[in-house]
Amino acid sequence: MKKKSILKKLSLLTACALTLGSLFGCSQNTAAEESSQPTSTSGETSADDNQTTSAENQTSEQESIVVTAWHDNDEAMMNALAEVVNKALAEENITLRFEKKSDVAGQIRLYGTDAANGPDLYLFAHDSLGGFAEMGILEPVENLIDPAKEADLLPMTLEAATYKDVQYLMPVYYETLLFMYNKDLWEGELPSTTDELYDYMTAHTDTAAGTYALVNQHSTSYNVAPFINGFGGYIIDKDANPGLDTQEMKDAITYNSKFAALQADGDYNTVTTLFNEGKAAAIIGGPWLISGIHDAGINLGIKSLSDFTLPNGNVMMPYSGVQCLGVLKVAAQTKKEAIAKVLEVLTQPEAGIMLAQNFNCAPANSKAYEDAQVAANEMILAMEKTAINAVPMPNIPEMSVMWGPAESLLAAVNKSGEDVDSAASKYQQEALNAIADMQ
Amino acid sequence: MNQTIKKKLHLLLLNLFFSCICLLSLVPILYVLLLSISSGGGALLTGSFGSLTLENYRKIIVEEPFLKWLLNSVILSVGTMLLAMGTSVSASYAFSRFHFRGKNKAMHLLLLLNAFPQILSMFAIFRLFRLMNLLDSHMGLIFIYAGSMCIFGIWNLKGYFDSIPIEIEEAAKIDGSGNLQLILKIIMPLARPAIIVTGVMILIFVWNEYLFATTFMLREESYTLSGGLYQLQANDYSRSWPLFSAAAILVSVPILIIFFCIQKHMVSGLTAGGVKG
Amino acid sequence: MENTKKKWLPWIYCLPAFVLIGAIVLFPILYTGYISFTNMNLYHWQDYTFIGMDNYIRALGKVNSGFLSALATTLLWTIVNMILDVGIAYILAVGLNTEGLRARRIYKTLLVFPWAMPAYVSILVWRVGMFNTEFGLLNKIVTALGFDKVDFLSRNVPAFLSCMVLNLWMSLPYMVVMIDGGLSSIDKSMYESAVLDGASSWQKSFYITIPSLKKIMAPIVIMTTFTMFKQFDILYLLTMQKGAVSGSTLQTIITYAHQNAFVSNNYGLSSAVSMVIFVIIILFSLWTNTAAVPERKGK
Repeated sequence: MKKKSILKKLSLLTACALTLGSLFGCSQNTAAEESSQPTSTSGETSADDNQTTSAENQTSEQESIVVTAWHDNDEAMMNALAEVVNKALAEENITLRFEKKSDVAGQIRLYGTDAANGPDLYLFAHDSLGGFAEMGILEPVENLIDPAKEADLLPMTLEAATYKDVQYLMPVYYETLLFMYNKDLWEGELPSTTDELYDYMTAHTDTAAGTYALVNQHSTSYNVAPFINGFGGYIIDKDANPGLDTQEMKDAITYNSKFAALQADGDYNTVTTLFNEGKAAAIIGGPWLISGIHDAGINLGIKSLSDFTLPNGNVMMPYSGVQCLGVLKVAAQTKKEAIAKVLEVLTQPEAGIMLAQNFNCAPANSKAYEDAQVAANEMILAMEKTAINAVPMPNIPEMSVMWGPAESLLAAVNKSGEDVDSAASKYQQEALNAIADMQ
Repeated sequence: MNQTIKKKLHLLLLNLFFSCICLLSLVPILYVLLLSISSGGGALLTGSFGSLTLENYRKIIVEEPFLKWLLNSVILSVGTMLLAMGTSVSASYAFSRFHFRGKNKAMHLLLLLNAFPQILSMFAIFRLFRLMNLLDSHMGLIFIYAGSMCIFGIWNLKGYFDSIPIEIEEAAKIDGSGNLQLILKIIMPLARPAIIVTGVMILIFVWNEYLFATTFMLREESYTLSGGLYQLQANDYSRSWPLFSAAAILVSVPILIIFFCIQKHMVSGLTAGGVKG
Repeated sequence: MENTKKKWLPWIYCLPAFVLIGAIVLFPILYTGYISFTNMNLYHWQDYTFIGMDNYIRALGKVNSGFLSALATTLLWTIVNMILDVGIAYILAVGLNTEGLRARRIYKTLLVFPWAMPAYVSILVWRVGMFNTEFGLLNKIVTALGFDKVDFLSRNVPAFLSCMVLNLWMSLPYMVVMIDGGLSSIDKSMYESAVLDGASSWQKSFYITIPSLKKIMAPIVIMTTFTMFKQFDILYLLTMQKGAVSGSTLQTIITYAHQNAFVSNNYGLSSAVSMVIFVIIILFSLWTNTAAVPERKGK
């Protein structure tokens, strides 16, 4: 009987093993079924798969290369961009394909050295550059294409793409915050100073009824940057010193908190809905709001933040965020030429013109602005104007740990009613700790 | 006479109570439902949403690889359920029925291991899977999910197994049944509610998991429902609320259907089997 | 010979489970332990080296007043949530098991809905649909009653309560289902004889239902306690997500570790912090375990 029971046990084990085995088989089957997609199990097979895929798609005899890029943007926009590139490179048999990934930065940290599974490129705002460059996972763009070909790119965007004197990234387009208003709701002339703006707000805001003059994400550092930079403050300077407890910063925060009291809770969803529903006459926001505003049928007017003067005589200076393509080192080793060709297309104005015409992006390529339609785009003109005074977001690695403390500081003052001085020194210390923790 | 009226009143009150509770707990979900059938592009429910429409559902089903995601979700959750239940039924049977040295210690050790926040394991699992070529494969994710739900399964089942009187088994043993037969023919039917409930928990866990699903699956075609929804709509700046809501409803409905269907099997095996302790 | 076989038998049964757990649960812990002795960070991403206990010295430096208050919050959070979770679920489950309640299946299915949604969907919906100052339903009610708008998440106490309500909303379905399953396994004849003895429904609860449930529910309650203890999503997504920081400074030990180590992308240091927290959880559970031993002896 004992022997028998052991047999039973063995058969139980076998049953488990069988379950495992059948699962394996099952997953392999699905992989086989999906073979029309490049299933990357290892570096070599993935390259093989890529070849077959595009061979099927394009019925060409030549060897073809797929360049993949991760992004966290509007999918339609990225697909349109890929189309421009692919059209230009049709003869070269190079295909650029975008894949949407939430938390691109986190994913790149994981997959940045993984040639088999990771992407070749990524498109992201330039402020994450320093961290990736220090990690040693980026191939500098200047190694891939002749800098002379980049002569048309705006200097500000090139500056944003450069870290420690090396140009790592390829700028594609940039964004700045703008003053957007509902022409049907705004009464009278637009003010030209922030003090007048504030007066208008006090006169036209009824928080109890839920109607507002101007809304802004008042506790998000990116959206308060126009005040901070205009007051001469900084979140972090070039030498990685946080500036949360500087006098300029405190003044800017105090000034902004006056506005914040009249701007609802400052959550992105709240402020955009208020504006789109016609409950707020104006909003400080970027081009990413446009499609929602159009859908809501708002009679939109746009003004550059440079047209508003702060009490100290400076204009409002938002951050500029440059959306750039980065090249992973592991990808540059195997697909160097293909990637260089993709980047080269982006040094030409076509992609920028398309992005400007269809998606209101401000191209990084100065030649794109010569296009008649682009030159007539009110929004792009406003961003171009703002860009003169805008401050590129810092791209040093330490910036990545500054968003948290800076935002907590703003929320503490605006939402929890904390005293500016004590909150500023508290979060300055938090920022210093976070920076120390990086090493 | 008086007694029956009292009973009826009692039931009426109870029905009223549960109707209220259900309604209350469904408020956030009704909110999502309303958003999902509103035609406006508005982000939030403001009371002024346009006409009702099923357009958002059509968009999700037709324009996104919805069916593919559904299939992936099914493969992953069923696969995980089989693997996790297979391993944990056998292990928890051992923990429940055998007396062996280190048993209690092992149970506690499992619990302690489970206390390690799973999110912190991501990086290590990534390294391991990269080595084993399990990235971007359903098998890899099934291992992750089964591994993380296995301890839960063992603990969940052991309590029920303990409650099954050992005398029944002993009787069967005298009849000459081996251990495997015992598990399949006696324990499994008796512990049916526990096994079904645990299986469904695992299923729901996998169905709704998104962090590992989006980190370890790399192509849009290979996402699960909740992973795909997260990947495409988690970002505030590119989210379309009506689409997001419609997708959220579509993700939840299969779970509800499954839950509704299995309920009659969740009646205790003890009473259903007519065995009394 | 037979004895050795018998000795190994249980372990053979456990082997498949242990292999799986070893790879997915144990290995990451060991790996985290390994990384915690290295200087793996942004500046030493691929060329990291052993640096001994340095990270631990720094990690212990984080066990300061901020950490202790986070620990206290976590304990309070766990205890309050567990009491309410089990208490409310018990009442609902007993109600659902009342004889003659025909619509039981429908109620159960509807009650399970919160559980059927991915967590981030629920949390997001609550943040903008319920707690939002302008459009949230709660504020619609508050203003309809004639009060001023309330920002539920900007201060610690209301934020704690808001997170708790959401947490209960999300975790009650599971508990109800489990207790409901447990209830159905109780031998009905025990109630019959109790009724014959003239027991009231309270007495039935205390002398039959709860003691019978204890055995089945103990593992589930213990597992849920750990889940509550390490709950991260709710507090993080409601109050401290980038771009939506609400203003409250509520921290549990997991969010504290996240804010104080993980955002820095210093893998060595954050691994050390993880290990320290892990040890604290172990100590905590050993402590609760010794407290619970007399009860478990009764088995």
